[in-house]
Amino acid sequence: MIKKRRIPRLLQLVLIVAGVYFGFILTFDVILGQLIPKSLLTMYMFFVITGVLMVFTFTEESTRELIDPIKALVEDPSKKVLRNIVFVIVPLLAGIYTYSSLLPSFEAPVELRTIHPAPPSKMKAYGKRFDLATLENPYRKYEKEDPDKFRELVREGGDVYIKGCQYCHGDKLDGKGPYAAGLNPTPLNFQDVGTIAQLQESYIFWRIATGGPGLPAEAAPWISSMPIWEDFLSEDETWKVILFLYDYTGHQPRSWEHE
Amino acid sequence: MRQINLFKLVLFVALLLVVGITFAKPGDLDRGKEIYDKRCTWCHGDEGDGLGAAEGYVNPPPRDFTSGNYKIKSSGFDEMVPNDDDVYRMIRDGMPGTSMPGWSSLLSEQDMWDLVAYVKMFAEFEEAPEQQVDYGTPVASSAESIAKGKELFEDGDRCVECHGKTGKGDAIKGLKGDASERTWPRNLTKPWTYVGSHDPKDIFARISIGIPGTEMPSFADPKSKKMLSIEERWHVANYVVSLAKTQRVVDAENTVIQADILEGDLPDSPDDERWEQMMPTTFFLVPQIIGKERLFRPSNDTITVRAVYNDKAIAMLMEWDDRTKSIPGDERAEKIADKPIQEDGVAVQLPIEIPDKMVKPYFGMGDATHPVNIWHWKSGTKDMAETVAMANSRGFEDIEARDATESGLQAKGSYHDGTWRVVMVRPLTTADPENDLQFIEGRFIPIAFAAWDGSNNSEKGSRHTMTTWYWLQLKPATSAMPIIMALLIVGLFAGILFWWARSAAANKAVGGDS
Ligand code: HEC
Ligand code: HEC
Ligand code: HEC
Repeated sequence: MIKKRRIPRLLQLVLIVAGVYFGFILTFDVILGQLIPKSLLTMYMFFVITGVLMVFTFTEESTRELIDPIKALVEDPSKKVLRNIVFVIVPLLAGIYTYSSLLPSFEAPVELRTIHPAPPSKMKAYGKRFDLATLENPYRKYEKEDPDKFRELVREGGDVYIKGCQYCHGDKLDGKGPYAAGLNPTPLNFQDVGTIAQLQESYIFWRIATGGPGLPAEAAPWISSMPIWEDFLSEDETWKVILFLYDYTGHQPRSWEHE
Repeated sequence: MRQINLFKLVLFVALLLVVGITFAKPGDLDRGKEIYDKRCTWCHGDEGDGLGAAEGYVNPPPRDFTSGNYKIKSSGFDEMVPNDDDVYRMIRDGMPGTSMPGWSSLLSEQDMWDLVAYVKMFAEFEEAPEQQVDYGTPVASSAESIAKGKELFEDGDRCVECHGKTGKGDAIKGLKGDASERTWPRNLTKPWTYVGSHDPKDIFARISIGIPGTEMPSFADPKSKKMLSIEERWHVANYVVSLAKTQRVVDAENTVIQADILEGDLPDSPDDERWEQMMPTTFFLVPQIIGKERLFRPSNDTITVRAVYNDKAIAMLMEWDDRTKSIPGDERAEKIADKPIQEDGVAVQLPIEIPDKMVKPYFGMGDATHPVNIWHWKSGTKDMAETVAMANSRGFEDIEARDATESGLQAKGSYHDGTWRVVMVRPLTTADPENDLQFIEGRFIPIAFAAWDGSNNSEKGSRHTMTTWYWLQLKPATSAMPIIMALLIVGLFAGILFWWARSAAANKAVGGDS
């Protein structure tokens, strides 16, 4: 049997846990650009550590491999210097952790929300039920069939937009309307490729008709200032304003055909 | 050889570009119309008459280009025609505090020059202006110049007549614009609302030319009794710039109102000097355009809050600039107000329970499962003193009035020089925890505000300005607890480790050869 040189089990364990920890921080803070809340991180790390410990102590032998270096540190007289160092550092670290976690926090709690949650399969609006899987913009067909009529519809949609939406989403549809700075979450930017360009018209219809309060819990409906437009716009007007959103930004709605 | 040719080619192309850009400046009318019809008609109308879809929904109204009035220009005061650069600049940068955005993020320079040509055509402006603003020798800002400026600003109510003693726009008379729309003089302490920037040179130009289409007059006009010399205008401009340096600006990063703890009595009067020592936090107010009856043309735009507490109660000071003290029935107030005049007001909204998780009540007056507590102060009428009311609501439609005195809520307001200051005080805990928020030290408590300007568009009921949720925190007093606990933990850890090592060593000694 050839004995492979390998990383000590204890070091492996520490490396895996540290790797996962920094992985979380990297994906949330850097890639997703949202600070991960401390409580959430603590919870994730709790599961990760228990999981890893369970794997590493699966057999008696592996448990021993894990514990032996620790035992040696405490018991082996030849490791006295290292022992003294560790015995000073560990209590100090515990002290610092206690101190910092007991200090009152003055940072506002971070709120995570999903910007584009999965839509329901069916929705209710205008006293009717809509099946979002098959729902289509009844005016979209005129884009090819009757361009003049289509222009007129876009125009009417623009009027709806200026009277109802520009305050927040902006005259340039860039999410920077005159009142946007006073709202959190900020109104979405339709020029961006990450919003309406990725969505189907039925999704937009759902969002406009039911507004912020129509969102599912993961999208924090209680803070979104997006109004419930069913209360102010007719069904027709909603479809027209959708035509305008795509026309003005030059985006195409996603459709089943394209996939 | 080839290299030299390449060099020549690059030079030639560069030259073409330069020539192209300089010649491109005079805009192309046809291209201008094309862009205008896609981007600008919504507000300025097909015919440039300001009658697009936005008419009646925004204040100030979109400019009627056929009137020939350009607010922000640098041509002479008795000259209608603006410089092309003036118009270009407004299209590029937009007009802060209005719905007119800057277009440089969407349109190319050439597009914007084409628009200048097209827009000017509505008033048949073809010739360049003959007169220009004379800037003379600029006077640098200094304490002395600012003091002179202040004197001229106040002298004979020159500017005070409209902008008020402290520049907050609390005019003595009602003003109208060229479309006979209601206008409010600028609050000069809010630099983010200057449509033509608050650079001293720009302010000098405004004072010299006035703001065409509004009642803001020219102070370079020799026919005016209040005329100012060039040097005097620089002093006044320096004074105006100094007014715009305010502590009460929005800092987007700061979303928490920190209430400090106080030994002894709380300041329960808005004019208590101790408020000056509390940290102010300022938020934008946005009009309520979300549900029920909406407000489209607001006048209040920010609110500043300070808070402080002791072992019994919490006091909050809400401070906001309002150009008018709206007291229905009061002769002076009625004269300036839009009819019918309503009371001014301010409201604080709190959840009934401090949320544990992320879930909060709906920011617009709560929802069916998460009610909110609302404290609403009103300025009173000629025959009735100020009032404070309390209500619990589960959404716009489900509002239950409650007795404010039972919960110990008190409020007091005072109005000076264009600013309302209102203090609300409530005990930290009440006898009715089912219906009242109980304040707890250290916790983050969602809080939102609303304000009413009763002289603007008769703001009342759901027609008001508001904020979304922010946070209030009762800052815990600094204590020795964390350091004591930390020392305890250090001792505990050190003890356990030491004991472990000792017993291991003892084991070894006993076990001998094990
Ligand atoms: C008071 C401000 C406000 C107004 C007015 C407003 N919105 Fe919104 N809207 C928001 C905010 C904030 C969001 C982002 C939060 C959310 O998703 O609910 C949003 C989100 C949306 C979305 C979702 C986009 C996506 O990528 O998921 C659509 C579509 C939308 N708005 C359309 C409209 C239309 C059309 C109007 C006018 C008829 C309008 N909004 C008026 C504030 C507003
Ligand atoms: C959402 C509405 C809106 C849109 C869209 C809009 N404007 Fe304006 N614009 C306004 C308002 C409102 C004013 C008047 C602001 C004021 O009086 O303070 C204005 C004023 C102007 C002025 C006058 C500047 C001055 O010195 O008085 C020019 C020029 C102008 N707009 C050009 C344009 C052009 C060009 C476009 C299209 C690219 C455009 N606007 C699109 C709302 C709009
Ligand atoms: C008769 C009333 C009146 C008087 C007197 C008056 N103003 Fe104004 N002023 C206004 C109004 C109204 C506006 C807002 C115009 C608008 O709607 O854009 C204004 C706006 C301004 C602005 C803002 C410019 C910008 O870019 O937004 C400045 C600065 C200003 N005034 C300075 C002065 C100074 C300095 C004086 C005295 C020398 C003065 N005003 C006297 C009515 C007046």
